[in-house]
Amino acid sequence: MAVEYPAFLVSDLLGSVLRFPLWWYGEGFLRVTGWMRTKLAYRWKSYAFVIWMQNILVPMYGQYDWSGRLVSFIMRLVVLVARAIAFIAEAVWYAFLTAAYAMLPVIAALLFIFNLAASF
Amino acid sequence: MSDALEQAYPSKDGLLVWRAPVDAVAFELRKAKTATHAAFHLVLALLMLAFFGASVFFFVQQAEAGTSLFNLAFFFSGNVAVIWLSLSALIGCFLGFRLYAYTDTVTPLPGWGKTRAQREQEQADPNRIRDVAPYYSDAAWECLRFAYDLAVKTGKDELRPVHLFASALSGPAGGIFMTRLGMDFDRVKEGLAALVREGRPLEANAQPALSEEARIVLLHAYDLAREADRRSVGAIELFLAAFEADQAIQDLIDAAGYPPAHVRHVATWVRMQEQLREEQAKFRALAALKPSTAMNRSMTARQTPLLDRFSEDLTLLARNGYVAPLVGREREMEELLRAIESGRRSVALVGETGVGKSALVEGLARRMVEEDVPPELFDRRLVSVNVAQLIAAGDPVLAPQRLLSLLNEVAASGNIILVMHGIESLVGAGSNGGLDLAETLSSELEKGYFLVIATLTPQAWTGLLERRSLGSKLVRVDIAEPESEEAISIIMGRSGYIEYQNKVYFSYGAIEKAVSLAGRYLREVRLPESALNVLKEAAVLARGQRGERALVTDEDVARVIHDKTNVPVEAVTSSESDKLLNLESALHGRVIGQDEAVTAVAQAMRRARAEIREGRRPIANFLFLGPTGVGKTELSKALAAEYFGSEKMMVRLDMSEYQNQDAVSRIIGKPGDDRGGLLTEAVRKNPFTIVLLDELEKAHPDILTLFLQVMDDGRLTDGVGRTIDFTNVVLIATSNAGTQYIQDEVKKGSSIDHIKTGLLEQELKGIFRPEFLNRFDAVIVFKPLDLDAVTQIAHLLLGSVAKRMEEKGIAFRAEDEAVEELARAGFDPLFGARPLRRVIQERVENQLADLILRNAVHRKDTIVLKAGGQLEVEPYHA
Repeated sequence: MAVEYPAFLVSDLLGSVLRFPLWWYGEGFLRVTGWMRTKLAYRWKSYAFVIWMQNILVPMYGQYDWSGRLVSFIMRLVVLVARAIAFIAEAVWYAFLTAAYAMLPVIAALLFIFNLAASF
Repeated sequence: MSDALEQAYPSKDGLLVWRAPVDAVAFELRKAKTATHAAFHLVLALLMLAFFGASVFFFVQQAEAGTSLFNLAFFFSGNVAVIWLSLSALIGCFLGFRLYAYTDTVTPLPGWGKTRAQREQEQADPNRIRDVAPYYSDAAWECLRFAYDLAVKTGKDELRPVHLFASALSGPAGGIFMTRLGMDFDRVKEGLAALVREGRPLEANAQPALSEEARIVLLHAYDLAREADRRSVGAIELFLAAFEADQAIQDLIDAAGYPPAHVRHVATWVRMQEQLREEQAKFRALAALKPSTAMNRSMTARQTPLLDRFSEDLTLLARNGYVAPLVGREREMEELLRAIESGRRSVALVGETGVGKSALVEGLARRMVEEDVPPELFDRRLVSVNVAQLIAAGDPVLAPQRLLSLLNEVAASGNIILVMHGIESLVGAGSNGGLDLAETLSSELEKGYFLVIATLTPQAWTGLLERRSLGSKLVRVDIAEPESEEAISIIMGRSGYIEYQNKVYFSYGAIEKAVSLAGRYLREVRLPESALNVLKEAAVLARGQRGERALVTDEDVARVIHDKTNVPVEAVTSSESDKLLNLESALHGRVIGQDEAVTAVAQAMRRARAEIREGRRPIANFLFLGPTGVGKTELSKALAAEYFGSEKMMVRLDMSEYQNQDAVSRIIGKPGDDRGGLLTEAVRKNPFTIVLLDELEKAHPDILTLFLQVMDDGRLTDGVGRTIDFTNVVLIATSNAGTQYIQDEVKKGSSIDHIKTGLLEQELKGIFRPEFLNRFDAVIVFKPLDLDAVTQIAHLLLGSVAKRMEEKGIAFRAEDEAVEELARAGFDPLFGARPLRRVIQERVENQLADLILRNAVHRKDTIVLKAGGQLEVEPYHA
């Protein structure tokens, strides 16, 4: 105990400062992007793109007459486009969050250094 | 390293080793680390907040001073507010990193979070060395630490499995375990303490070392956790591994009344519940993707108003969480899906009532919600049609029309799989000269635009569907009644719901008892439903008696079964055991002499109650032989009254009424007649009873053949095809055959054994077949009564006269000479004690009636029967 605890303190507290940037851009980055990928995959499923693409020519609500088919086709197209826009918007938002995650420590560190230097 | 290799424990994840030190320093360090981390994180959080607060303060100050905050120059001009803000952000990032990377230090087990297919595919290098310590959860570490402390406190030089076991038992996991097992800690406390104190004492200034057995336990626990697809190794795995490792622990727990198999089952149960909880969370996420209406996701479906009226949407119910997950039944589910996948074929699930046909269909509904199904079922809904309602909903002649309209909706919607419970009721329905509904459905199935999953019983399948065109269009999938092990695991999976509903907890004993007793006594509905029903009732009973959060034990279950079947299945109470041990004297209160018969009957009852008899035959099969009036029927009645509660708890068949062959159908019922037979119905309704077959020699030989099976197998199939359980009846047959022989031999002074041999070898040969006589557990010869016995009987009969008079407030007694007179008058070597009853009626009861009618006797008076048959009234003197 007499030896182990100080050794732990040094390795744990100081080591973690050194490990921080490695983790942030390594495992941490993978975690964040993985989480977003899961979110997007779930959204992809919930928007049912594949099902709607497969059924693009199948009339909605069992309306098999030609007008039904036409309306269905247009409707499906509109819905698909709308969902694609929503999906892309969400993806862009996640991309922004990922960029923010990547840049936050760098910007914070730069601002700190610049301002500290400028204040002297 | 070579050391570690030698001690490695082979597993599917490679060679397992334990490398973490197990000593006081290691535990102290672990504790110190946790505390340091917490303190450090708190400091970081406070710093972050303080710096952020400071930056806000300076920003506000500068904004008030008129500085513009919205230009780039402001952020690079050495501004103090920006310094604090950036520092706060940096600390925030660092804190986030620390919380993620340092708080949860448990490495998830390799199989965690993977699907079954992924887990099956993975193949680890068998020579890879894997240290299991990082996979240990905090709870498991805590358990290990406590075990170490225990070894220190008891001054032992080794930490052994028993320390781990005791430690796990005293932790939260052990608490759950003991509750589930219904175990009282006090019952094992002493023994466990003695086991813990075994072993070599610790030398001065030394520390306990991890024993080789305990090290294996630590590695085995990893394997157990891995088998159950846990996230990390928990205390429950340590508990189980320690239990398995030490025979002495197993013996201790076994001696306290909990067999090792029970302990293992409980471990499976506890882990199964955790697994179900995890799966439920996954299910909810997937269920949110399934539409909440009848519309499918591709929106090709149509409104189905007629179908909706006669049906229930199972996928929708499952989606909204009203359907329990399926446990087991993998083979049947695979068969069902394979039939559908192999060319869109409809399926008939064939099984007895209660085996879980509906549960399988509901399991399919859940898989459809998760979309874990073949493409044929993807984005479809499973709709259960109420067949009876469809037929009954209007003019029966129009039923085919309704069915067709409903199928039209199914066709137009295109996303519906139909479920039809009891599809056999379509046969013969709506057929007024035309096709019946089964034919209509069959011809529509032929077109192949929809799928049906039907459920029915094997009898309905063979009787009504198999040879029809509808039968040929359905793929038969058999759902067998689960074995008791499987039934227990199914019920474990369902128990959570009943517990939640009734706010009680089940012990393992309750489940085990419900399965074994329901499987034995409640055969109308099969396992697992029969056991589930019993558990539901036991839950209500336990809550009613002991309030919410009560533990439902095996005794509650036994009570429910007793109430339902009248079979005493609870643990024997002291009063009952007294009654059983003194059954002979109780029976002798009504039957004079005949010691052999009385003893045989009493012993059979004791064997049955102590459950040491073979459970596949009736409690006992007796043949009582002897002249009329010697107590054969009386002994049966006495047993019914003393042990079964009432003289009426007896099925009595006078075999003289069953002399021709047609009588068989009166006993077991006719095919197609649901009323069943006289005997089979009586035993079905009341399985714990006496079956008395009077004057057996008069029965038709076919009836004797019927009883051959009862005596041998303890069951009889009635005319409707139900199997009736006879394993809880006492079968008593009486016969006067060979009476003359008995009387002659008794006159000659032959011994009873000699008479019995003579009867069996000669006299009865022409009357009963030898194999029939062999089936009886005992053939008992009732001796003809002598005058002495008849006198005692006269005492008994006059005693019952006295009892009846006492109800009128009048005392009655008889002088000994008077009784002897009566006995002499009533004694007949041919008819035993039977004439005695008539004599008492004529000489005593008639006179008593006269006295009462003449008002010659009043309340509190005493009537005395004097020698010569005179009645004398002794008036009451206060």
